[in-house]
Amino acid sequence: MDLLNPYTLQVITFLFLNLVLAVSIYVTLSTGQLSLGHAGFMSIGAYTASIATKTYDMPILVALLLAIVVTGIVALIVGYPTLRLHGLYLAIATLGFGEVVRVIMLNLKVTNGALGLTGLKSLGTRLYDLEKVIGIDAQTFGITVTQMKALSTLIVMVILFVIILICQIRLDRSRVGRAFSAIKADETAARAMGINITYYKMLAYMIGSMMAGLSGGIYAHITTTITPDDFNYHRAVEILSFAVIGGSEVIIGPLFGATLLTGLPEFLRVLAEYKMLFYGSLLIAVMAFRPYGLITASTFDKWKNRKSRSTSGKGGV
Amino acid sequence: MFWQQIFNGLTVGSTYSLIALGYTLIFGVLRIINMAHGQIFIFGSLVGLGLAVNSGMPIWVAFPVSIIVSSVLGLGLEFTALRPLRKKNVPHLASLISTIGFAILIEELTHIFFGADSRPVPAVGTTVIHLGTVQMRAADLIIIGISLCLMIVLHYWIQRTKMGKALRATAENIETAGILGINTNAVIIMTVVIASGLGGIAGMLIGIAYSALIPTMGLTLGFKGLAALILGGVGSIPGAMVCGVIIGMSEVLAVAYGDSSYRDAVAFCMIIIILLIRPQGLFGRKA
Repeated sequence: MDLLNPYTLQVITFLFLNLVLAVSIYVTLSTGQLSLGHAGFMSIGAYTASIATKTYDMPILVALLLAIVVTGIVALIVGYPTLRLHGLYLAIATLGFGEVVRVIMLNLKVTNGALGLTGLKSLGTRLYDLEKVIGIDAQTFGITVTQMKALSTLIVMVILFVIILICQIRLDRSRVGRAFSAIKADETAARAMGINITYYKMLAYMIGSMMAGLSGGIYAHITTTITPDDFNYHRAVEILSFAVIGGSEVIIGPLFGATLLTGLPEFLRVLAEYKMLFYGSLLIAVMAFRPYGLITASTFDKWKNRKSRSTSGKGGV
Repeated sequence: MFWQQIFNGLTVGSTYSLIALGYTLIFGVLRIINMAHGQIFIFGSLVGLGLAVNSGMPIWVAFPVSIIVSSVLGLGLEFTALRPLRKKNVPHLASLISTIGFAILIEELTHIFFGADSRPVPAVGTTVIHLGTVQMRAADLIIIGISLCLMIVLHYWIQRTKMGKALRATAENIETAGILGINTNAVIIMTVVIASGLGGIAGMLIGIAYSALIPTMGLTLGFKGLAALILGGVGSIPGAMVCGVIIGMSEVLAVAYGDSSYRDAVAFCMIIIILLIRPQGLFGRKA
């Protein structure tokens, strides 16, 4: 397989986009909140960024920042009342939020209704323009312009993902991260320990939503076309299943889930054709056999134990 | 004009009530929201409709077929997605996810078997009855009549029969009911079958109301039932019945006096508002 094939490059770019989404759902889940509204936030981010670049001709960086800010504000407004809800109710309320966003996007004039926004200037083209300014050309590397564009997009995406991942790991190990896991383990106990539940749940919800908004903005500028139906209920379920199938206890879980769900249909063409059948069966099977997800905190414990046992065996009598 | 809209709302709403009852029954017994309900009954209704139309039989034949197919799918749901999760100590949202998985599966099968095109439902009861300014199709009256009868029968069955008593006991506390000698697994199977069967009827009635069935309807109709469930208070049977009608009416009124394109958002706006003001729902008890 030609690695520099634009199609392959785009698939890998989408994989990294899904990895960012996986982190975003992981943050929200890390306080025990199940959200089906991430597609809605993604939609808001995508439309904000697209309108900013298309109608107001803003630079993409500003547009993406704007997407994050707008999604954050919406998350604040929506999150404050909904965070009082638990479990099933929260899931249904966020599901409702996503559907309301979709219907609004379908009907607004500025979003161009069901036809959506088309002809956005892609991230790759923008990057290539930038590269030409600083004197790098596709010919320098002996590849075509399309390849160069796809490659630049991928590199930016990888860098972005790594930054987000590092921030997330740092967050997990900080005071805030510990507060998140305390809330997830037992809300009442966490409150008794003096943790401000509303503040931390809101924080997790907002970080998750803003990340979804950012990936929405990037998604729009990779595909260059968005319609409200790109961010429907199925997208919400897809994002959620990254964490549910991979496991939401440790960060590796959702990342593994996203890689599995994005990668497998690419390698197995049969799966691509019946992608949704595969998704559905996988969800049922994983819930039946490993309800906490494929990768859990104890997966690594076992592995570490075995390793330490084998080393102690060697060093022992 | 206003009364006409109210009547139309009543017709649509009574089918929503039937859908919501399916959710309520399963939630009452299992404390699970069955996200696959809409997809299950639309599959059943499409099979029923297809069989009746292709064999040239009257549309009434479609009803038993739809009920049977939906119930069988309900059984499939119970054995693949619900029962395996009851045995172990699993997070309480796991069953929500596995029903979503089952929903995706059925939706895809619907797509493979029936495509995406809407299927016309042969017209029944085209006679129009005038009552003051309100025009009523006989079909509308049939829909309201069937829905009402089913609700009354269901109510009687739950409150007065021995099986209904077992169902209520299981809903109250599944373990205690088991200790007292109730075969809770049988009760659960019965509940899932009845809930899906009710859905099967609702699907056909909706087909008659709109003179068409669309394979992708499962999702949207499921959402309407879900909205009625939350609005009425999860687990409340009268709540589901009344709120189905309320949602049907508000939708019709929103279309008549507002903007028709926001129709699908009405139900969800209502549940978001109700969750904020009165999370236990209109008819629910405080937990």
